[in-house]
Amino acid sequence: MDDAPAPTTGRGVHAERGVQSEPNVRPERSVRADRGVHAAALASLPRATPWRLQRLLGKQDPAKVWKKVETGQMAKWVAGEDLHDIWRDHARGADLAAVAEQLESLDAWVTTKTSSQHPPAIRDDLDPAPILFRRGRVADPTAPAVAIVGTRRCTPTGRSVAMELGAGLAAAGVTVVSGLALGIDGAAHRGALAADAAPVVGVVGSGLDVVYPRGNRDLWDAVASAGTLLGEAPLGAEPEGWRFPARNRLLAALADVVVVVESKRAGGSMHTVEEALRRAVTVMAVPGSVRNPAAAGTNLLLSEGCAPACSTEDVLVALGLATAGAARGFVERARAGVDNPMGGPIDIDGLDSLQRRLRELLDDGPVSLDALVLRAGAPAPDVLVAAEGLERLGLLARDGALVLRA
Amino acid sequence: MLATVRSATLVGVWGHPVSVEVHVADGLPGFTIVGLPDASCREARDRVRAAIVSSRLTWPSKRITVNLAPSDVPKSGAGLDLAVAVGVLVADGQLEAASIADLGVLGQLGLDGSVRPVPGALPLVDAMGASAIVVAARDGAVAELVAPERVRPVTHLKEAFEALAGTEPWPVPPAARSSPSAEPEPDLSDIAGQPLARWALEVAAAGGHHLLLVGPPGAGKTMLARRLVGVLPDLSHEESLEVTRVHSAAGLALPDGLLTRPPFRAPHHSSSMAALVGGGTARARPGEVSAATGGVLFLDELGEFAPSVLDALRQPLEEGMIRVARSQGMVEHPARFLLVAAMNPCPCGAGGTVGCRCAPGALARYQRRLSGPFVDRLDLVVRVDRPDPADLLDTRPSTPSTEVAERVAEVRALARRRGVSRNAELADADLEQHAPMDRAATEVLRAALTEGRLSARGLRRVRTVARTIRDLDDSGHELRATDVLAALSLRMRIDREGGLVHG
Repeated sequence: MDDAPAPTTGRGVHAERGVQSEPNVRPERSVRADRGVHAAALASLPRATPWRLQRLLGKQDPAKVWKKVETGQMAKWVAGEDLHDIWRDHARGADLAAVAEQLESLDAWVTTKTSSQHPPAIRDDLDPAPILFRRGRVADPTAPAVAIVGTRRCTPTGRSVAMELGAGLAAAGVTVVSGLALGIDGAAHRGALAADAAPVVGVVGSGLDVVYPRGNRDLWDAVASAGTLLGEAPLGAEPEGWRFPARNRLLAALADVVVVVESKRAGGSMHTVEEALRRAVTVMAVPGSVRNPAAAGTNLLLSEGCAPACSTEDVLVALGLATAGAARGFVERARAGVDNPMGGPIDIDGLDSLQRRLRELLDDGPVSLDALVLRAGAPAPDVLVAAEGLERLGLLARDGALVLRA
Repeated sequence: MLATVRSATLVGVWGHPVSVEVHVADGLPGFTIVGLPDASCREARDRVRAAIVSSRLTWPSKRITVNLAPSDVPKSGAGLDLAVAVGVLVADGQLEAASIADLGVLGQLGLDGSVRPVPGALPLVDAMGASAIVVAARDGAVAELVAPERVRPVTHLKEAFEALAGTEPWPVPPAARSSPSAEPEPDLSDIAGQPLARWALEVAAAGGHHLLLVGPPGAGKTMLARRLVGVLPDLSHEESLEVTRVHSAAGLALPDGLLTRPPFRAPHHSSSMAALVGGGTARARPGEVSAATGGVLFLDELGEFAPSVLDALRQPLEEGMIRVARSQGMVEHPARFLLVAAMNPCPCGAGGTVGCRCAPGALARYQRRLSGPFVDRLDLVVRVDRPDPADLLDTRPSTPSTEVAERVAEVRALARRRGVSRNAELADADLEQHAPMDRAATEVLRAALTEGRLSARGLRRVRTVARTIRDLDDSGHELRATDVLAALSLRMRIDREGGLVHG
């Protein structure tokens, strides 16, 4: 996929204008292809913001720009007097061979705006990323893309909804874009990968060699092998706080629709929403319980007029990939009295009386086990055993200190 | 002239007999003590001289040599003062040599000649086989416990001198009595709500299973833990002796008599390794884990303890004793305690709820402080949260400790019939005999094993806990699926977000 034909449409705005500067060779043909080592080195310059890099690079070949920086021939207006010298000294001390080595070992590629492999949606964005690091294939820019975002501290319900949306959208041929964080982001990607259908895109805030959160290393590798892993940060960049808002703008830029599954009133997901609104990207939110603090942000979005996403079909309708009739299936299933419209019918015949009582109590929302014991009025061990049984049947989930209806 | 007085010194929690040999000879006046005395022991020189002079007795202006035998055992503390003084008086001829035949002497001396109590009086007196033992009056009651009728309590060196010279009779020892604990233990009826934690507490007390309470500050973890002792049965006579001996050796305050109630020790999380497991250079003092033997060791803020200190608890948790090795030898202290630990789910305390503000990394770091092998030994892990006031309005009054204590005592009695003092001590080999499982229960455990919820060690532990749960319920012989499920649901682990998950 690395030498895929140059895309001709971004979001239908610009045609390819590319100065083909990046040698687009298959890795197996030459011993060491140029993976964009000069662009990678430029991204590592001290205090190299996307904005400065944009001015530095323009539409030039990164190798030439690097030469200019190294020899001190860079125009002073690009970065100012101080940075001019700092960059020159940094460039002189840089070890390009080591960078190339690192790119090779990561199997990562670096693209700039002049490259045909640079995502057009990002090239033509309001705040374009001049340099992008990539692992995995070049994403098909013509495929519809949906960003699924949400809080890291989600409820089990939120997590399962995110997985379901990810799987459903991927199965419908939609590219699922997400940030590979804990909670909703990761769940959406795991769902999409499980569907084993459309490729996914992950956009990360740290360097491609700095896995964050570390527990998601398997997910990073899975996304890189089954899709595209993108990042703007130079190799070795730690997941510093300021990198995530920058990452969020790329999520919004890549997506045709942003779906927020669960979000508190403030947080990264709400920032992604703002970025989406700046770009006139449709935002949808999954409704949640008014008692659920992790759904406060999504409910706020809904009350401000954002479209609800109750099912995969809703999102497909928003993408124009399905008609409103399809989405009605959800409503019909709910009307037909199916207990759990998102999941499917549940067999409650095997439950004993205490388990039925617990299920009723859980309808009031998440509750601590202690409160469940008190409200059920049964001895603690009996309630524990009953809850354990419900959990085995998948009817009860634990969420931190609380238990809730699954 | 030579005199030999019998006394004793502490090694760990045990007394070790010491012969105090005093030689008084003509020559340049001087006073030396040999035989591995530590600093406080060597200072006996000055105390003994002052005490003898203050008691209006004669200090011999001669060459005095004191040897503490056996010379390879390190002697510490001032407990040998009185023996040295008596030895000097005998060797100088002021007392008859016959008067100290078969006499043990133990006590510190003040410069005014007063006789002061000695830490570890109980094991020390126990170690001296003499037919009469002179101790400080304030050690009299304790000494009487192990040497009834043989104790001669004195308050002053002069008293001892006169009794030994035969001019005055020995003072009468006070009658020993085992006093119930001075202050009443806090009662479980003070706690409203918390049904799960209360039940876990009952299981812990009945079966001797170690308990971890996880919850935000102010949820009542400490309150619950303090009430655990109140539901434990009284100590048996052997346990009483052991506990009193350890407390005596550790220099802890003792009632007038044996400790009959299980001790409750709550060392602060800043405690050093030596304070917790015992140690010290010369005499290996028993630490908090030994002071808690027979009772409850409560570690509040478990996450704040140094990881190395917690890992040192693994041996006592497994073997019921702690081996303290020092350059001068190794001692074993008893450490059979019931561990109750409490911790916040995360540094901010709100872990497991949406209000938690900790960074994921901070949470992981907090929990990494507890090593896996250590946490593996905590059989009962319960979440404790602040109860919802609405749930407390229409609940019945809480069960008082006495009621729970009865059930606990019954389960302990069942355990004794199985040949152990508590169910937690049941060995692998005994489980088939004493904790057989019906088919459904076996099925539940097999499922837990295949799901990876349970390790081999966990399997045995779950069975012992299920045994206790069945005993508390109706003491039937076979374990049912519900007993095993209940035991499994108490065996939780803290997950990455501060909640509890099956582990």
